[in-house]
Amino acid sequence: MATDKKYTTVSLPTPLFEKIQEKIKGTGFTSVSDYVTFVLREILTHGSDQEAFNAEDEKKVKDRLRSLGYLD
Amino acid sequence: MKVAVIGLDCAAPDIIFNKLKADLPNLAKMINNGVSGKLRSCDPPITVPAWMVMATGRSPGELGLYGFRSRMSNSYNGIKIPTSQDIKFDKVWDILGKRNKKSIIVAVPPSYPPRPLPGLMVSDFLTPDKDKEFTYPPGLKNEILRDFPDYQFDVKFRKPEKKKIIDEIYKMTDTRFRMTEKMLKEKEWDFFFMVEIGIDRIHHSFWRYIDEGSHLYENDKEMKDKFISYFKMVDSHIGKMLEEFDDDTVVLVVSDHGAKRMKGAFAINQWLIKEGYLKLKGGTISQGASLEDLEVDWAHSKAWAWGGYYARVFLNIKGREPEGVIEKENVRKELDLLKEKLGSIRGPNGEEWKTIVFEPEERYDVVNGDRSDLFVYLDDLSWRAAGTLGYGTDFLLENDTGPDDAVHDYDGIYIMYRKNRKIGKVIDSSIFQIAPTILEIYRVRKTYGIKGKPLEGVEYVE
Repeated sequence: MATDKKYTTVSLPTPLFEKIQEKIKGTGFTSVSDYVTFVLREILTHGSDQEAFNAEDEKKVKDRLRSLGYLD
Repeated sequence: MKVAVIGLDCAAPDIIFNKLKADLPNLAKMINNGVSGKLRSCDPPITVPAWMVMATGRSPGELGLYGFRSRMSNSYNGIKIPTSQDIKFDKVWDILGKRNKKSIIVAVPPSYPPRPLPGLMVSDFLTPDKDKEFTYPPGLKNEILRDFPDYQFDVKFRKPEKKKIIDEIYKMTDTRFRMTEKMLKEKEWDFFFMVEIGIDRIHHSFWRYIDEGSHLYENDKEMKDKFISYFKMVDSHIGKMLEEFDDDTVVLVVSDHGAKRMKGAFAINQWLIKEGYLKLKGGTISQGASLEDLEVDWAHSKAWAWGGYYARVFLNIKGREPEGVIEKENVRKELDLLKEKLGSIRGPNGEEWKTIVFEPEERYDVVNGDRSDLFVYLDDLSWRAAGTLGYGTDFLLENDTGPDDAVHDYDGIYIMYRKNRKIGKVIDSSIFQIAPTILEIYRVRKTYGIKGKPLEGVEYVE
């Protein structure tokens, strides 16, 4: 649902929250939210919901499949 | 209870249950004390879609996956290689994940790009290369490459150096098992599913050294020994895994399809040209030319085909294809005629073939995706289809593109085993039973629309 709010709340298990709090002590992260946002962004940008293959990747896979006899 | 699935791509009943059983002590122990049998693959019996049929319990028709390429929206040449993103149904690990079960998933095709899950995933042989993000979570990749810098997704065949590839396949498989064993030991998991592709590569490339009945048979002791040692290595890794699994783990060794000797490759597009279905605009055709590199006279062509372990034949239908010629009301008649003609193709010496031709609707309740109009198993899959052209004959004794000695067969294998159980039963089953079996062992009673029933022998291991 679209919303005008810039931030929203997600729930974390308390022990995990405390673990993160401990982990970010003395780092550049000022809050658990900052750290969690950073980690999630990292995962999502490296993640998989973009186009699976670019043209070069597709060529590599096709060449391999051709050498195996799956494509002609 | 946990389930550990060890997938051996292309493992064939005759090899595992008969020919090599005496050389494979761990698999023999599992067969003797577990429940095992042939596992009828899906149609078509091909790696993609078969592993996803196993993982989702859905038919290729529901998945809209019919092989290693999908046709793009009724075009003549546009193809797409299936990826993990094309799988629109939950895999068993997705269903278990919703129930807080953590999974380790290694190389189950197609799994590139790796999809998020509670647990760990390493993508399959359709991963372009190691520079890509091939794990979930992404950080796992560094761990793998640190410990196993030689990790390989697949091997690439270069015909002149074919014999050397057997050592490369050995190394690839050994590394994947070592990596997986380390993950199983160090990471937390409730469900495990791996696929080793090396068996398929070994069968396709080196079948001639173990099959005296093959027209390609070569009496080469060194190569035969290498073939057997490869299986011994796989067996010893399975033994190591068995040591790690506890009494409450049900182990399933499965394959997606079997293998048998290849009799040859049939140049299907050449045949379609001779029969007047396909017309080229002229010019010389170099040997092994691909149809997409030639100028097809679509306005005078009724059909064309893709090769592979089975042939996919497409009709050129008005209103569907860009330059379609067959009127909609004539499609039925044309299909019936072409089916009859394909079904009566005879072998190089005039011998009868047992060719199976069907329309997808005859095999699947639901037909999704861009599928071919006809699926053709030439001589019951013994002849592969060559889509390429430019040969003096339609009957090629070697594969047109790959390293083939073997083709796919309908029956793969399954062995279901639990430590300290003495069962020793043989019950032939179907690939559609694997997902329901896994869910049954975890007591997931919601069917999620999966129609198959658990393996009959599941009661003995529960």
